[in-house]
Amino acid sequence: MNPGCGGILASIGNRTEPEDTMNLPTLPAWTLASAGCALLLAAGGTPGDPPKFAAPKRIKAGDKFLGEGRLYPSPVLHDIDGDGRADLVVADLIGKVTFAKRNQSGALAAEAAVNDRDGQPLKFHNW
Amino acid sequence: MGSQFVDLNGDGHLDYLTATFDGSPHIAYGDGKGFGKPEHLKDAQGQRIVISSIWDYDAKKHRDADPAIPGERCISALAFDWDNDGDYDLLLGSYENGHLYLQKNEGTSKAPKFTGKNIPVLAGGKPFAVPGKMTSPRLVDWDGDGDLDLIAGSFGDSYGQGKGGGVYLARNIGKPGKPEFAALETLIEPSAKGCSEPTRPDAGLYVEAVDYDGDGDLDLVVGGYSMWTPKPRKLSAAEQKRADELTAQKNRLTTERTAVNRKISKEVADATAGLDHSSKEYRAAASAVYAKHREDTLAYSKKYSALTKELGELVPGSQRKSFVWLYERK
Repeated sequence: MNPGCGGILASIGNRTEPEDTMNLPTLPAWTLASAGCALLLAAGGTPGDPPKFAAPKRIKAGDKFLGEGRLYPSPVLHDIDGDGRADLVVADLIGKVTFAKRNQSGALAAEAAVNDRDGQPLKFHNW
Repeated sequence: MGSQFVDLNGDGHLDYLTATFDGSPHIAYGDGKGFGKPEHLKDAQGQRIVISSIWDYDAKKHRDADPAIPGERCISALAFDWDNDGDYDLLLGSYENGHLYLQKNEGTSKAPKFTGKNIPVLAGGKPFAVPGKMTSPRLVDWDGDGDLDLIAGSFGDSYGQGKGGGVYLARNIGKPGKPEFAALETLIEPSAKGCSEPTRPDAGLYVEAVDYDGDGDLDLVVGGYSMWTPKPRKLSAAEQKRADELTAQKNRLTTERTAVNRKISKEVADATAGLDHSSKEYRAAASAVYAKHREDTLAYSKKYSALTKELGELVPGSQRKSFVWLYERK
């Protein structure tokens, strides 16, 4: 597993980890190496300008809905497999982590476990 | 449990930072070949990083590490170079009242030394507080001004008919090295619930902001529970009769079970009288009582499930299921 370019836009000093992506063209977030890289390219609005969203739609991964039946699914876009496309990583309350791989077409494949370097499912401890 | 992929130890590889309901941040270090086993993130003194309330794995119970802020449990962690000194500090999110705390790194980017001291983060001059219990905040340049703002979802009432969760924004109006957050703005109103089909995440909203469709603005990807009650269909006379029978059976079964549960509770209390609740003896005595009633309990659960399933096909009850949703920016 290659952790990829850089999940969330967490800046250190005046640089952005792990590489500067300011000059990238505007592309769908999933075409970039990670979602975090895309965040600098898009603005969300100004104060006093409440954002308007289309009616929400459930995201599909394979033939199921993403995160369906999970305990409090928490999504993050991140290139988990290092193929240059941002996948959707879903963690949950009990500490289980899956990802829906972004295919070349842009569609999301069915969720699979995120494994550690020993090939075992990554599992964070909960009480 | 949220997720942040960030190089916390400055070795050039992304690590996986999160926090769980045990009250502490966890980290799985990356080495280029993958992530290692998750472990608790420690402060400069080698202690588990906490806000206050934690699950004590040795005593097997919750306790407050800081009596000054009882019940404040850390369930989210973000790495953020707050003071612009070239290393990551930590933002710790509290579940119960949606507070956010800063814990500074007095070490370096390669050898972090978190102080163990939590400094309340403000928004609009008051303690940062997401209404309805905070899930996990995220950092994002929402307004395109070059600094990182905070967005956060809320749990809301995750089981009942009370107000559900929403999504909030706190803009960073400070300067590099001196972040200052404005009062919270609402991005997604808390859910009023009451729909007959899944129309949105109603409770436990975990949010990610990203230009999902590449049109130049930020969309929201939100995980959470949808809660709805399907419209009942018109029943035939025979179906209505069966539904009435099942409802009566269900009510009878619930009443019987409540009495059995009270009896079991009394037996546990008698069997464990005088024992320390965190002791092995206590757990052994209580387990013995539960084991004695195990078969009856399983039989009850099976019967109740079958009954509820048949009744639900005639008169659908409240539904609750989790999904991940896209809020596309207009």
